[in-house]
Amino acid sequence: MAELDSLGEVISADVLVVGGGIAGLAAAITVKEKDPGLEVLVVEKATSGWAGKADRGGGILAFLTPADKPEDFVRFHVHHIGCFLEDQELLSEYAHTCNGVLDHLDAWGVKVAREKNGRWKYVKLPGLDVPWGLAGVDLDMCRRLRRHAARLGVRFLDKVALVDLLRHGDRVAGAIGFGVEDGACRLVRARATILASGSQNYRVMPMWSCGRGDGIAAAYRAGAQMRNAEFGSFVNMVHAASREVVFGAEDHMYNAKGERVSEKYRPGLQPDICAMAAVGWYREHLEGNGPVRVKSEENLLQIGSEILFSTDLVWERPAAIAFWSRLWEKAGAAESGSVASMPEVVPGFIGEQSPVRVDHDMATSLPGLYAVGDVSYSGSAWTGAVPSPPGRIRGTGLMNAVWSARKGALSAAGYAAEAGELPRVDRAHAAALKEGIFAPARREGAGVTALEVVREVQGAMTPVRYSNWKSEARMREALGMVLEAKGKLHALKAADPHDLARCNEARSMALCAEMFYRASLERKESRGWFVREDFPERDDANWLKWIVIREKDGEMAVSTEDIPLEGYPIKP
Amino acid sequence: MNAISIDTDRCDGCKACVKACFVNVLRWDEAGRRPVVAHAEDCVHCNLCEINCRRECITVTPDFSHLRWSAL
Ligand SMILES: Cc1cc2nc3c(=O)[nH]c(=O)nc-3n(C[C@H](O)[C@H](O)[C@H](O)COP(=O)(O)OP(=O)(O)OC[C@H]3O[C@@H](n4cnc5c(N)ncnc54)[C@H](O)[C@@H]3O)c2cc1C
Ligand code: SF4
Ligand code: SF4
Repeated sequence: MAELDSLGEVISADVLVVGGGIAGLAAAITVKEKDPGLEVLVVEKATSGWAGKADRGGGILAFLTPADKPEDFVRFHVHHIGCFLEDQELLSEYAHTCNGVLDHLDAWGVKVAREKNGRWKYVKLPGLDVPWGLAGVDLDMCRRLRRHAARLGVRFLDKVALVDLLRHGDRVAGAIGFGVEDGACRLVRARATILASGSQNYRVMPMWSCGRGDGIAAAYRAGAQMRNAEFGSFVNMVHAASREVVFGAEDHMYNAKGERVSEKYRPGLQPDICAMAAVGWYREHLEGNGPVRVKSEENLLQIGSEILFSTDLVWERPAAIAFWSRLWEKAGAAESGSVASMPEVVPGFIGEQSPVRVDHDMATSLPGLYAVGDVSYSGSAWTGAVPSPPGRIRGTGLMNAVWSARKGALSAAGYAAEAGELPRVDRAHAAALKEGIFAPARREGAGVTALEVVREVQGAMTPVRYSNWKSEARMREALGMVLEAKGKLHALKAADPHDLARCNEARSMALCAEMFYRASLERKESRGWFVREDFPERDDANWLKWIVIREKDGEMAVSTEDIPLEGYPIKP
Repeated sequence: MNAISIDTDRCDGCKACVKACFVNVLRWDEAGRRPVVAHAEDCVHCNLCEINCRRECITVTPDFSHLRWSAL
């Protein structure tokens, strides 16, 4: 393979993990636990142990408390959350085995809060009778995991972005990318590859900023199937001034006339935020009843979340307290001009598109490629008709990341051990990928900046009328905007290696947005998180289906697949 | 754009801040043995560089006004 060297540094591993957030770290550790003889390499765009979302979030783990039965969780989920779009077999496996995540984290040196008697310390959501509870983990989990992984012999390559997958025929044979500081091309050859590169969040909300969909785009370009791409339009209600999340705002919204509007849009049992909160906000504005405000004194969750996040009254979590109190202190300064008792809220678009299709072993449709954590959360289909994370259960992001990472790593380790020789990589194939990745760095003369394209894609995603209150006409308009942005990708110009990473991310964002609208146009009904103004009802006769997307002859091919409900215990 | 200031006189060159950044805003200057703010435009005020600097020489001042996407 000497000739590959002429393209860049070639590195080999038995198992390559793309992305060193919590899912990537958990996967790397699990491979080493299963088979210490396997060489495991984690490649991370920033610095593994510090990178990713896990240590910038709530640090809340939704698990089944001793009072919660897995069967009740499954039934509740199918009826109230995923609305029959779940893979019920995988959902049931999740319900029966997800609690093991707490034991694994604990064994790997992560601090999950315990009672004095040794049991996991947990709380139930105030005012909600749901079959799960919330445990707390401190926000230094990834640093602890990296230390543990290094002790087991996992190797790390930081500040390298892997952009495309290397292939030998259909089989994935590693990945190619470049150093985000030195700009040097790197090729990693591997027997098995695990994608753990997170979801697509379009760089809108600050703390979700690292989710730029690289792994989704890489898998798509390599020919992998995508599923449930139409659910990637997660929003939280956020403070208008600071754009910080106001937890629970959706249940205490008032319009400018002083009318309480939450129940108008969110009737019945609502375990978490739904798309209708943002739709309600939009319709109140449309009718001239904006701005929408939240009555803070009613919002138990906000008071509760401050207690949960930034104090040690419930859980002793020094890193979490440092993170949240610093963030809220600075946000508070920005919010000081607004009415504290009734702050204005706006929808904060997040996205959380996570459509890489995986089976029960977290294997993608391409041999040798596995996908774990946020990159394949919706694609795994256990969560059904919701953007995931959090899938309308806050606290499942971290749980799924570790749970799916363990499953995927065990499968990948087995595959790598039996795979024989490292798969061959054809130089011409690798050179063509390199050409595409580096094109913006070589462009001379005038060009388009990555941020220009990103802004255009954001303009097609953030408005509620496009991505959450959907209609055929408005989605066609948004798709047109996305295609226009896509049309500029060939003119992207990068100023330096960091900017080259942004250019490749802009490609991913345009691709994910296109996928979102093509899948959304296909689904002609409303279900779960998915709301259409022109098809407001759930249509079980026609739409108990998954929408599957893959590349065919350079085009995005959209098809549907019946959900095998006949074999599932819970029927509509 | 957020402002990030580093008191390089106080800094002892431990590199923690460069590692802490999840979107590669900070960069290590090998020659000067100090961190530099290379891409402030990408900073999203997670504050982890500031919190994890044991010498307390980093200050991140968020500019919330740049977060003005259109939701309507
Ligand atoms: C503000 C906030 C609050 C949250 N609160 C909670 C909570 O309380 N409970 C909960 O369960 N979940 C919560 N979540 C969700 C949870 O953090 C995620 O579900 C989880 O961290 C996903 O882990 P991951 O490893 O799959 O993805 P990520 O954490 O996104 O990690 C992916 C990694 O891949 C790297 N990467 C990306 N592209 C490339 C590339 N091309 N090459 C190399 N590396 C790459 C990224 O830099 C990143 O480090 C929250 C998230 C946020 C942002
Ligand atoms: S505040 Fe966060 S995003 Fe900004 S430079 Fe520091 S670590 Fe990076
Ligand atoms: S963390 Fe503080 S002391 Fe360490 S290199 Fe950064 S600025 Fe210097």
